[in-house]
Amino acid sequence: MLVAESLRKEYGEVVALHGLELAVRAGEVFCLLGANGAGKTTTIQLFLGFIAPTSGKATIDGLDVAERPLETKSRIAYIPENVMLYPNLTGMENLRFFTTLAGRGELSDAELGEMLVRAGLARDAHPRRVGTYSKGMRQKVGIAMAMAKRAKALLLDEPTSGLDPKASNEFSGLLSRLRDDGVAILMATHDIFRSKEDGDRVGIMKHGQLVATHATADLSHADLERVYLEHMHD
Amino acid sequence: MADRTSQRSVHRALILKELREISRDGRFRVAGAVVLALLLATLAFGAREQQSVKAERAAAQATADDHFRAQDEKNPHVAAHYGTYVFKPSGVLAFVNPGVDAFVGVSLKLEAHKRNPLEGAKARDGTALSRFSRLSVAQVIELLVPLLLIGIGFGVWTSERERGTLRQLASLGVAPRALLLGKLLGLLGAMALLLVPAGLLGTAIVALLVDLGGPGTLPRGLALVAGYAVYILAWVLLTLLVSAHASSSRAALVTLLGLWVVGGLVVPRLAADAAVAAARAPTSARVAANVRESLTRGLPGGPDREARVSELTEKLLERHGFLGAETLMDASLLSGLELQAEAAFENEVIDHHFAVLARALDRQDRFLQLFGALSPVVAVRSLSMALAGTDGAHHRHFSDSAERHRRELVELLNTEFAERGGALGFDYKAGRELWAKAPVLRYEQPTLGWVLGRQWPSVALLVGWLVLAGAGALRAVRRMRVV
Repeated sequence: MLVAESLRKEYGEVVALHGLELAVRAGEVFCLLGANGAGKTTTIQLFLGFIAPTSGKATIDGLDVAERPLETKSRIAYIPENVMLYPNLTGMENLRFFTTLAGRGELSDAELGEMLVRAGLARDAHPRRVGTYSKGMRQKVGIAMAMAKRAKALLLDEPTSGLDPKASNEFSGLLSRLRDDGVAILMATHDIFRSKEDGDRVGIMKHGQLVATHATADLSHADLERVYLEHMHD
Repeated sequence: MADRTSQRSVHRALILKELREISRDGRFRVAGAVVLALLLATLAFGAREQQSVKAERAAAQATADDHFRAQDEKNPHVAAHYGTYVFKPSGVLAFVNPGVDAFVGVSLKLEAHKRNPLEGAKARDGTALSRFSRLSVAQVIELLVPLLLIGIGFGVWTSERERGTLRQLASLGVAPRALLLGKLLGLLGAMALLLVPAGLLGTAIVALLVDLGGPGTLPRGLALVAGYAVYILAWVLLTLLVSAHASSSRAALVTLLGLWVVGGLVVPRLAADAAVAAARAPTSARVAANVRESLTRGLPGGPDREARVSELTEKLLERHGFLGAETLMDASLLSGLELQAEAAFENEVIDHHFAVLARALDRQDRFLQLFGALSPVVAVRSLSMALAGTDGAHHRHFSDSAERHRRELVELLNTEFAERGGALGFDYKAGRELWAKAPVLRYEQPTLGWVLGRQWPSVALLVGWLVLAGAGALRAVRRMRVV
């Protein structure tokens, strides 16, 4: 579903991504681990078409992101590290706006409220302006937005940052349900524990290269941590 | 996304969101309320003032007509010297844009032998400051509405990027055109909150005054509304363009304010000075002096006064079958015909010099309109003044009409003198029966077609601004950086 072929991104002299080869199948959760600046966010932004590749290509459902930006985006949902919303609109209004734009038509208050609750946002927050929300609450609205889109693929850039452990755990539950529905999920994260829990495979990125890929079933938490730290040493 | 219903709901969601965001913004509420109050106040005061001006001018016209009809018995030619006054009836739409009314004058004296300039300009009695003392509806629409628009719209794209919502928006797969349309309609909707009440009041005012206006008021009014709509739409698109293109909200605001100052204050001033410099027009004192000189010496390159008047007298004698029989004619008949010949000569001289003036002023007008390519404010201002009937061209149109009227009146008096004076000559006196026959000036504003015939460069440039800003905004949105 999500395929990177020799995907390369340069910023002037700096190479942010060296010819990445990656394929995430439908119904698979692939976690990208790595330090800041390893190229995780660059990879996700290339799939989103926010930046253009220097060479190689990213495809979604067989469509080249650079050539078919609108069709590829209609197949994905995206949750960034910091979900940013319109502060003068309520949580409900924000969700309605984004789901309508995502092509879901106009949903009722009850449907939207249900989505927010499933994402973990308490009902009393729905009619409040987002300007008053904490980061975690905004993140939950972002999760509801992504769920509502019913996308074929999810691109997650540290989606649980700022969520408390309980909310983070609930998010894992949502992810596994989506995986069971056949959604391809690419998630950049710092969280080794959650990668082992949620991911089918983990990839370790360093200096713009995917240096190792492992199936999580083959590794224990401790193994994964050890492998990760080994790669982090030069 | 492909089906229509969902596209329509996408548009609706975009518009609704922009409207909500704008209307929940305290800055918009305060600034919007101020601009709305100014618009309504200028409309109301403008209309009231215009009504009182209309009443004053009508009363002055009636008094002048009464004076003329009530004058004592006297020789008709003496009455032509005594003369009368005409006042420019003000068009219904003058309340929107008083144009050059205050600077040009609204009345003129009609008398034998002379074409007088318009007089009674209000601005001559005031100081330079009084130019600014009265804010017109046109000024509010032309300058303050775009300023408000800039204030609410400069961050329309940049703040989405700065707040990070643009990433969210861009990940949805909404076509840039749909996003632009949503933003456009959102901003227009916010503007409509201000302009619709003002427009309704404006319409109500016109509707109340319409019986006082000619049949041309409605097409002119509609054209005026259309012109301002295109103008505001062009500013909305320009704001969207700059905001999509700018690297930050600050840069967008500074750029837009720069455009506003240059387009709204600098270029119009420059355009007026450049137009005057490019096509020098004689002052009315100069025209009067030229006319005086040609009246004694004849037109440049033509026969002198005496030669031309006797030519014209002969033509008149021939036309009346008296050629060679002057000695047999009544003194009055001959004097009357000579007066007519003199008047014809004077008219030739006047026509010549006023045509020179009109050509120069028309050149200035066209030159000024070209500056609309540098600023939409120049284009809309020129168009709006013309549609309101308060530009220089309308004053000349009135002045020409008053001149034709003057000639009719002088001809009537001179003919009466020639035909009825008999042997009395200049001792012949006519009375109220003759004065009552004096024609009344029924001035009608020129048609909309006449206005557009002169204003087509402004119309074309205004539409050009709209198209360019629209194309530029779409291009800028398509190429906008997300991160």
